[in-house]
Amino acid sequence: MRILLVEDDLPLATALQQSLQTEGFVVNHVNNGSLALNALSTPDQDMLILDLGLPDIDGLDVLKQLRDKKSTLPVIILTARDSIESKVQGLDFGADDYLVKPFEIQELMARLRVIERRLGTASSSLICIAGVKLDTYAHKVFIFDEESNQDIEITLSKKEFMVLKALMENAGRILSREAIESKLYHWGEEVLSNAVEVHIHKLRKYLPKKFIQNIRGVGYIINSC
Amino acid sequence: MSIRRYLVLTLFSVLTLITFIAAIQGYKESMSQAKEQFDQQLLDFANTLHAVHHISDLTLTTKPIKTAQVTQQGSFAFQIWQNQQLVVKSNNAPDHLITNNKLITKNHDENNFFEINFLQQRWRALAKSHLITQDGTSIVNVVVAQPLKTQFALSQALILAAVTPMIVAIVILSVLIFIIITQGLKPLHQLRAELGQRKSNDFSPLTLQVDNTELADVVVTLNQLFKRLDIAFQREHHFASDAAHELKTPLSVLKINTHNLIQDFAKRLAINKKDLVSLIHIEGFASIKALTHSVDRMGHIIDQILNLNRTNSSQMLTASSCFNINILLQQVISELYRNIMLKEQTIELESENLLLSAHEFSIHLLAVNLISNANKYTPIGGKILVSVRQMENKQIALCIEDSGAGIDPQEYQRVFDRFYRVGGDQHDSSVIGCGLGLTIVKHIADLHGAKIILSRSSILNGLKVDVIFPMLVEREQEND
Repeated sequence: MRILLVEDDLPLATALQQSLQTEGFVVNHVNNGSLALNALSTPDQDMLILDLGLPDIDGLDVLKQLRDKKSTLPVIILTARDSIESKVQGLDFGADDYLVKPFEIQELMARLRVIERRLGTASSSLICIAGVKLDTYAHKVFIFDEESNQDIEITLSKKEFMVLKALMENAGRILSREAIESKLYHWGEEVLSNAVEVHIHKLRKYLPKKFIQNIRGVGYIINSC
Repeated sequence: MSIRRYLVLTLFSVLTLITFIAAIQGYKESMSQAKEQFDQQLLDFANTLHAVHHISDLTLTTKPIKTAQVTQQGSFAFQIWQNQQLVVKSNNAPDHLITNNKLITKNHDENNFFEINFLQQRWRALAKSHLITQDGTSIVNVVVAQPLKTQFALSQALILAAVTPMIVAIVILSVLIFIIITQGLKPLHQLRAELGQRKSNDFSPLTLQVDNTELADVVVTLNQLFKRLDIAFQREHHFASDAAHELKTPLSVLKINTHNLIQDFAKRLAINKKDLVSLIHIEGFASIKALTHSVDRMGHIIDQILNLNRTNSSQMLTASSCFNINILLQQVISELYRNIMLKEQTIELESENLLLSAHEFSIHLLAVNLISNANKYTPIGGKILVSVRQMENKQIALCIEDSGAGIDPQEYQRVFDRFYRVGGDQHDSSVIGCGLGLTIVKHIADLHGAKIILSRSSILNGLKVDVIFPMLVEREQEND
């Protein structure tokens, strides 16, 4: 996957480039907004990591110009601005995710992987967590069985699969009931108030113990390790 | 007391008082003048009568003496006595001699004024005696009197006629004074109104149009001051975000390079020793551990100092919005869940969809600080309970309790001090912190007029922090 990194701070860009390359990404780096817009005019990039504090054009303007051209390129914003206002603004302008400096590199990687899976490259369609394998491309789920020492496929309904996929894609992050609901149902579709609880209850019968954890009042989580 | 009220009241009282004193003085003066005038009239009249009588007497001496009655139309009464015989009298005068007993004085040609009662009235009278012959045998007494009531009524009518316009003038003047002062102070009132409406962080120039030089100067000076304050405020505000950027970027570099270093190290070890050393192992090395810990600690301190600066009441943008506190708390717990999971703690949120009207970012910050404190100071496997409830008086109470050791009640006040940490140097150094968290929480609570109450949790036996927001809130309509 090719990533365009737009960052004016050279040491940060170099370090980031190194980490991303270690993880197998191809990284192109530019250090200002106009070069970024230039590079984005050709469809060579799979995604964009964008710093907001650029010397020439504000990062949000770069994002705006990109979206004005109807580009669906996934964008992750990196910024030192951490006020709610600029966060909301960034997401309103069409950013896919938002990381505040100084961020954990694992966090960036996790978010990149979510985007990678969404883009659907075959090599990345498999999510493996604690013996559970979920193929986002083929819509299949396998569980490692210790007795037979092999993976056994389990059959899930469409909604159950979507709940599990949402949780596994966001492993390590809590998803609220509302967030899961919004991934399951279209606008206007009638949702039973306990629909998510019912799906989770069924999923838990197949999955290892404590695989899906409930944080009362907050939501559900699958831990990433 | 407003300047207008002060001026109107003082001017009105002073005006009334002085006019009143002047009126009394004028009344007294006029009365004595009138009295003199009336006495003079009596005297003149007496002299006239005497003269007329004298002439007639000279011509009619042989006539037998018989009292002549004169029909007196006016208010005067008079008698003319010649050698104790009443010669002429007005019909409103009595038949006896009008006298105050001391009469009749032997000193002739002397004016003798006195007051006397007759015919059910009080009179001002003048008795005058004249010697007609040189031997003193023939004496003429002339007595002239005028009712005091008539005198008094006349003078009073005159004085009142003079004073009445003054009273009307006071009323008119008062109204005029009120209008003039109100008009004159209008720019001052406008200025006050405009300044009163202003929010504490609004430094836009005043749009007030004033014609008088004094206030125009004030407005110009105020506008200059606002401009300078605005610039200073902007500079300081930008300083915070500039500093954040300047410090956070190198810190990110440090963090990423630490990560890269561990990765490199793992790779080299794997090549050299041909044996698998997992990343977890390397992360466990003391020096690596110390490095990552210091980087995290530095990041935390920078964040907290910036947050402290940002929540300073002079810095804070207090634009408040209405948001669902339940969703905000879910976000905060999600953000902090990594640390909670690392300590294998359980966290619960008990909340309804309540709308809070406040500055969303700072409430987020407040919740982050309180929940991460609970996370830090609760041992592994402990419990944290976050709850929000609406009290009977519409106040919203945010409560965070944990199963940690809690804080000694004697330290409840001090924990809000900057850089204060419970236990001082003995503070557990494995816990990342700089002693600013509760200071920031206090700043934010103060900005929102919220109350913070520290106590011991009755459920979990650790620290319990209650933050009570005074704002009016509405319950959100459930959609489903």
